Amino acid sequence: MKRWWGMAVATAVGGVLFVAASGAQPEPRRPHFTDIAPKSDFSYRTDNNFTGRKYFPQTMCGGVAAFDFDNDGRMDLFFTNGAKLPELAKTDPRFYHCLLRNRGDGTFEDVTAHAGLLGKDLGFSFGVAAGDYDNDGYQDLFICNAGRNSLYHNNGNGTFTDVTEGSGLTKPKDVLSVAAAWFDYDNDGKLDLIVSNYTVWTPQIDKVCAINGQEYYCHPKIYPGVAHRLYQNLGNGRFADVTDSSGFGTEMGKGMGIAIADYNGDGYMDVFVANDTVRNFLFLNQKNGTFKEAGYEWGVAYDESGNAHSSMGADARDYDNDGLPDLFYNNLKGQIWGLFHNVDGKYMNYVSGLSHVSRLSSHSSGWSNGFIDYNNDGWKDLYSSNGDIDDMGQISRQPDTMFENVDGKEFRDVSTQLGADFSHAGFQRGSAFVDLNNDGFMDLVVTSLFEKPRILINSADDGNHWLLVNTIGRRSNRDGVGAVLKLTTAAGRTLYNHVTTSDGFMSSSDKRVHFGLGAEKAIQTLEIRWPSGTVQTVKKPKADQILTVTEPER
Amino acid sequence: MTKLASICLIAGLLGSVAQSQQPEGDSGALLQQAISLHQSGDFEGAIRGYRAFLNGHPESVQARSNLGAALAHVGRYQEAIAEYNLALERSPDNPALLLNLGLAYYKMGHHAEAAVRFERAAALSPQFKEQVTLLLAVCYNSLGRYKEAVALLEPLETAKAGDPGFDYLYGTALIGDNQEARGAAVIDRIVSRGDSAEARLLRGTLELSAHDRDKALADLQKAIELNPRLPGAHARLGELLLTLGETERARGAFSDELALEPDEFTSNLNLGVLAKEEQDYASARHYLERALKVRPNDPGVRYQLANVDLATGNLEQARQALETLVGESPDFAEGHATLATVYYRLRRAADGDRERALSQKLMDRRDAAQTGAKTR
Repeated sequence: MKRWWGMAVATAVGGVLFVAASGAQPEPRRPHFTDIAPKSDFSYRTDNNFTGRKYFPQTMCGGVAAFDFDNDGRMDLFFTNGAKLPELAKTDPRFYHCLLRNRGDGTFEDVTAHAGLLGKDLGFSFGVAAGDYDNDGYQDLFICNAGRNSLYHNNGNGTFTDVTEGSGLTKPKDVLSVAAAWFDYDNDGKLDLIVSNYTVWTPQIDKVCAINGQEYYCHPKIYPGVAHRLYQNLGNGRFADVTDSSGFGTEMGKGMGIAIADYNGDGYMDVFVANDTVRNFLFLNQKNGTFKEAGYEWGVAYDESGNAHSSMGADARDYDNDGLPDLFYNNLKGQIWGLFHNVDGKYMNYVSGLSHVSRLSSHSSGWSNGFIDYNNDGWKDLYSSNGDIDDMGQISRQPDTMFENVDGKEFRDVSTQLGADFSHAGFQRGSAFVDLNNDGFMDLVVTSLFEKPRILINSADDGNHWLLVNTIGRRSNRDGVGAVLKLTTAAGRTLYNHVTTSDGFMSSSDKRVHFGLGAEKAIQTLEIRWPSGTVQTVKKPKADQILTVTEPER
Repeated sequence: MTKLASICLIAGLLGSVAQSQQPEGDSGALLQQAISLHQSGDFEGAIRGYRAFLNGHPESVQARSNLGAALAHVGRYQEAIAEYNLALERSPDNPALLLNLGLAYYKMGHHAEAAVRFERAAALSPQFKEQVTLLLAVCYNSLGRYKEAVALLEPLETAKAGDPGFDYLYGTALIGDNQEARGAAVIDRIVSRGDSAEARLLRGTLELSAHDRDKALADLQKAIELNPRLPGAHARLGELLLTLGETERARGAFSDELALEPDEFTSNLNLGVLAKEEQDYASARHYLERALKVRPNDPGVRYQLANVDLATGNLEQARQALETLVGESPDFAEGHATLATVYYRLRRAADGDRERALSQKLMDRRDAAQTGAKTR
């Protein structure tokens, strides 16, 4: 009897082993993320001044920019912050912004005061956009506010100067600006600015909404939409508000994230703006200083049922490596995050269902987001910083999500496999993608309401190879924003990306262009189509390096 | 409860028809034999007998009506409907026939078709009015015509208040018609008789419409615990779970509902929409077409089907459906928006521009009219 029992067990085990060996693919080794923020001494917390009274803009706080302000080759970090309400003023140091200099040893130094970026005279701040608007080789900052917006010029010596006054970067009274993006819409070599505006708001006109005596953040529908604003860079620190003449002025939105890309491949940069509870906009560049809003034609204005959602962050990248930028925006729990596949540069196909994004995303409220090849396998994955709009339920605090790209066709949720620091549940808001330690693997910086930001370092240990490209424009804008890069590996695999610092929500990312190469160690060519129209080819660049490419003069 | 009512009604009507006047001679004997079999419960034998008689007397309304009743009794509703319709060709204003035909449709869950026959039967014969009132109210509730259900039931409240079946039906109608206070009073009446699944379902529905989601969840889950087979309970829970972002659980709840009531409207509609979101268009079409069978011409379902057509490249079908929809409901902003996209895809830019402008105008007007706040 005992012997028979033993044989039965052996058979059962054999069966299990057989199934495991033949039926299931081994999980690939995945990098994980570790929060190194606790190692650094800085006092910044994302502070929206919630004290019981729920002011409308409090849900949006904690913009982040990743940029190398001192050109030492290491990416630094900047965070925006809220203000005292209803005063709408940074009355206390806890509302100040924060500039962290990357020491290169895994720690950061708070240099905000020295840099002149505390923002003491600003109101409640939201998004930030980094870009070298004056082509002096140093990235500058534009900060979106309730109250006046502000342009900070990088002086190149570790300090910044508020140069807003006289710059022409004005806006209608009481307009609440949420996000901004630098791009060169007229390809004249100077970075222009698009600002995503939400509504007209002051603490005095803030509305109170409550149910059963419990206050909650009001639905956006009770606030009016406003026009997003386009500013043309005239040079010498001057900008012209071309909102009306460009066609932006006729479309009233409730702007959130901005995704800049050349969607139709005509050599001119277009603008997608995710709007909260009203239709999204796709402004197609008409190459003559005007834009045509083509959200309907392109099928990105609404979801598949003609419904507008609470669109939040937005990013445009090529997730299936077919050479055309696709689109990803996120929204609130119970809605469906939008993944759109670009069809021949003519329109977008909604593919949230086929790619499993709809099923994976329905339980998360997303804010900042983007395409990021976190594991360097050559397929861009989908990241979202999550957290409910309000703290009114058991699942208001939420962890971020990473949906891993499977061969450019579908996505799977690997969030829980990326380490405890990645899975931190909170009211996450802004996020930036950046290689902080120059190891070729993208790191993440994420803000959360009421908390210190997380600086999540990628373990970079899956053995995959990479290339980071730092573009320096000469005829084009110096950052090279808008340049389209095509990389062909030795094995003939083609990968695409483009230069932009704008992605997600309220955030600005590493301007260097990242390519994951998977197991391949050799690159055949890197082709760069500059905004000037120049096409440059770099032959056989080495993998696993940060490659600086300067645009030819002619 | 409603099933019990309809069964009793069928039996009653069957009796009255079967006792009607019979022809004389051999054929009369044939018919009498069929009726005897029918009355003794041998429905298959009766069906054969009626068919044999009808071979020689195809014009006999009585035999055809009885055949319909026998077929209905054994669940062969499609055949019963065919026989009733043949009989009605000869006797179009026969209220008993109309009532039985309505019942056959009712049993199939085709409440729209049933309601039409019940309405006509009641109009032709006031004696049937009382018999069909509750059935008609069930149909109206199922079709989302709550106002009409309230109008039907309101005069009966004094006499029937306290009857569990009536209270449940009336409460459903009142809540569906957004008469929360009156609905709550009916719920109180039901609760006063003790905790019940029906009371929990009604209260949960009321709480759901008031966005009081925690309470709604507790009540709906309790309703299902008390009676897992209560029609509508799983569907309401599914709707609630959708608002909570619990899509997978909602999908399960809707499927549970359809396992009990395959033609339940809300579950078919929502499973259709969820399948569409998953881009499983074949399943989406299946569920949506089932929902449309329950509520023919429902604009929401037709709109979703048009979206499936758009997504699957059936642009002409989508265009036709959407043009009809916005023709019927000129203020349907989403319809105009989708129609704009269809026109653009058909390269009819001028039409697209027109529809786009229209949809925008309608949405702007709707936003401007927004006076209060809603939870997200």
